[in-house]
Amino acid sequence: MKNSEEKVVAVIMVGGPTKGTRFRPLSFNTPKPLFPLAGQPMVHHPISACKSIPNLAQIFLIGFHEEREFALYVSSISSELKIPVRYLKEDKPHGSAGGLYYFKDLIMEDNPSHIFLLNCDVCCSFPLPEMLVAHRRYGGMGTLLVIKVSAEAASEFGELVADPITNELLHYTEKPETFVSDLINCGVYIFTPEIFNVIEDIHTHYEDRANLHTLSSSEALWSATKTPAKDFVRLDQDILSPLAGKKQLYTYETMDFWEQIKTPAMSLKCSALYLAQFRHKSPNLLACGDGTKNPTVVGDVYIHPSAKVHTTAKIGPNVSISANVRVAAGVRLMSCIILDDAEIQENAFVMYAIVGWKSSLGKWSRVQGEGDYKTKLGITILGEAVTVEDEVVVVNSIVLPNKILNISVQEEIIL
Amino acid sequence: MKDLSTMKALILVGGFGTRLRPLTLSFPKPLVDFANKPMILHQIEALKAIGVTEVVLAINYQPEVMLNFLKDFETKLGIKITCSQETEPLGTAGPLALARDKLADKSGEPFFVLNSDVISEYPLKEMIAFHKSHGGEASIMVTKINAGIYLLNPSVLDRIELKPTSIEKEIFPKIALAGQLFAMVLPGFWMDIGQPKDYISGLRLYLDSLRKKTPSKLASGAHIMGNVLVDENAKIGDGCLIGPDVAIGPGCVVESGVRLSRCTIMRGVRIKKHACISSSIIGWHSTVGQWARVENMTILGEDVHVCDEIYSNGGVVLPHKEIKASILKPEIVM
Repeated sequence: MKNSEEKVVAVIMVGGPTKGTRFRPLSFNTPKPLFPLAGQPMVHHPISACKSIPNLAQIFLIGFHEEREFALYVSSISSELKIPVRYLKEDKPHGSAGGLYYFKDLIMEDNPSHIFLLNCDVCCSFPLPEMLVAHRRYGGMGTLLVIKVSAEAASEFGELVADPITNELLHYTEKPETFVSDLINCGVYIFTPEIFNVIEDIHTHYEDRANLHTLSSSEALWSATKTPAKDFVRLDQDILSPLAGKKQLYTYETMDFWEQIKTPAMSLKCSALYLAQFRHKSPNLLACGDGTKNPTVVGDVYIHPSAKVHTTAKIGPNVSISANVRVAAGVRLMSCIILDDAEIQENAFVMYAIVGWKSSLGKWSRVQGEGDYKTKLGITILGEAVTVEDEVVVVNSIVLPNKILNISVQEEIIL
Repeated sequence: MKDLSTMKALILVGGFGTRLRPLTLSFPKPLVDFANKPMILHQIEALKAIGVTEVVLAINYQPEVMLNFLKDFETKLGIKITCSQETEPLGTAGPLALARDKLADKSGEPFFVLNSDVISEYPLKEMIAFHKSHGGEASIMVTKINAGIYLLNPSVLDRIELKPTSIEKEIFPKIALAGQLFAMVLPGFWMDIGQPKDYISGLRLYLDSLRKKTPSKLASGAHIMGNVLVDENAKIGDGCLIGPDVAIGPGCVVESGVRLSRCTIMRGVRIKKHACISSSIIGWHSTVGQWARVENMTILGEDVHVCDEIYSNGGVVLPHKEIKASILKPEIVM
C-alpha cells in the first residue's frame, strides 16, 4: 500500500580526482561534477530532476573530491531547492555499492522507504517519478533504468536481459566480450533499504574467501595491493549480476536520450542535449535575439546574465556561454562551450570547441573541431588561460592551460 | 672576502614552465630535479659558494609550494631566500624593479641576476673579478648568445620602470650605448634545460663537468659505464649496466638485469627486472615493468606505471596514468 508519508532520498555518486584522467585537461581546473553543461554544473541536472520526486527528504552527494570543492555549490543548491543537499566525502573509493553502504546511517536517517541512486556523469532525462511508480508496481528490491542502444555500442556498457512481460532483470553482465543484448544499464537505480543487507552479505563474503577477482584496470589502479579491499563493493558485478533472475530486480526502459559524460567531447554533446531539453521544459532559460537589441541567436543557446555579447555576434546552435564572458562584434559561435571570464575578440569563429576559463581568442582567430565526440581529437579544447593570437587557426587540438598560440595548429596536443 | 659578504642575487623564475610538462604538472619548474637536486638549488649553491647572503626569487606562479621548500633550503644552506611575486608578468627586467628594495642596499655592491632554466659551471668569482676590472655598470656572460647570467651595479635599477620590460631588448642596449656594458665569454658548459630534449643533453654536460671537478661524486663499479650519478639512498640490483649519463635519485630501486643509459630516474622510482631505458626521463614514484623498453625521449610524469613487456617510443605521459599498451611512435598520453 502506498503510504503518502513515506520519505524518499536520493544519492548521487560524484566520484573523485584520482580516478578518470579521461576528463583532462578540463579536470585540471574543476572537478568533473561541477563542469557546466547548458550553463549549469553537471551534477545540477540529476539534482534538478530529483525535485519532481514526491516526498523527497534529502539529497546526498557521495564522492572523494575535497569537501571545499563542493561547499559553495551544496549550500546554494540547498537554499534554492529548500531540501537539504549534503556532500559526503569518502576517505577512499569504496565502489558504487560500497560508498552507499559506508554512509548507510546518514542515508537511513529519515527512515526512507526508497533510495534513488544516480551516477553524476550520466546525461539523460531522469524520469524519476515514473520510475518510482513502476518500482512500486514491480514490488522488488531494486529497479534499474535501462535503454536500448545499437549492438556495437552495447559492448561498452553493462548489458542485460529483461523479461518483456514482467520487466524482471533476468541476466546482467558488465562489458561482455560477446553480444548479450542491446539493452544496457543507464546507471540510475531505485532501491528499497534491503539493499544494505545485500551489500553487508558481500562484505562478510569477502572476508571469508580468498581474493580471486580479476579487477578492471581502474580499480587495480586505486588499490595499492592490487586486490579489492573488503569494503570495496561494486554495484554491477557484486550486486546486480548475482541477484539477476531471482525476482529481486526489475527494469524500467527510457525512450529518451542517454549518454555517459566521460570526456570533454562528450560534455559538449551532452550540453547540447540538455539545451534541447530546456527548449522543451524551461524555454525561459534559453537566449533569444535577432540582432537588434540582442545578438542573433540560432537554435538552443544559453547565455549567462553577466556575459556581454555584442549585438552583431551570431550565436548558436548549441552554444553555452558562462559568467563574465565578453564576446566582441562580428563573432560567430556554433556548438561550443565558452567558460567563465573568457574573452572572444572581433570577428573570431568558434565551432565544436570548449574555450577554457579566462582564455582569450584574438581577432579573426578560428578555433574549431570537426565535431566527432568519440575520438581523442574530435573537438578542440582550450584549457584555462589559453591565448590564441589574432588570425591564428586551431583545429582538432587540445591545449593545456596557460599556453599562448601564435601559430596555427592542427591535430595536436599542446602541453 | 669582506667585499662579498653582503652580495645579493635575483633569480628569474617566471612562469608556468609549460615546456617542461608533464614534469611541471607536479612541481613548479625550479623544484624539478636535475642531477638529483632541485634545479634552483644548483644556482643557489653556486651563489652561496661565492658569499652571496641573500637570494630573491622572482616568481609569478605557485608561491606557496615554493615557499615551503625554500624554508628547508634556508636552514640547510644558511642563506636568506625571499620571493618577489609578480602579479602580472613583468618580462625579464620588470622583476628587478619590483625587487629593488631588496637588491640595492647601502653597500653599493653589484648584484647577480640568474635565469632559473640555465645550468652551467657558474664561474661567478671570475665574473666578479671581470666586473671590477672594467668598472662598468653591467657585465653579462655570453656563449655565442646571451647566457642569462648578469652582474649589475645598483644604478641599473634606476633605468628600469615597474612594468613589463625586456632587459635584453630595452635595458642592455641603453647601457651599451653609454659604454657601460661588458661581456665575458662563459667558460665551461651551458645549457637551457627548460625543455626535455635539452634537459637530457644538459645532464651529459653536467656530469662531464662533475667528472673533471669532483669525480668522487660519480658512481663506479663493474656495472657502471661513463658518468653516472647515484643517490646514496638508491638501490641497484645485480647484472645491471648503468650509463653513460644517468642520474638515479633517492629511494629508487633498480632491479636486476636493468640497462639504463642517458636517462634521469627521479625520486622513488622502481625499475623492474630486465627493463631497458635510454634517452628518457622517468618521473617521481613511477614504475617501469619487467622487460619494458623505454626510449627516444619518453617522458613519464609523476606516478606513471608502465606495465611489463611494454615498449614506449617517445611517449609523453601525464601524471597518474597506467600504460598497458605499447606506444609505437611519439605520442602524448593524457
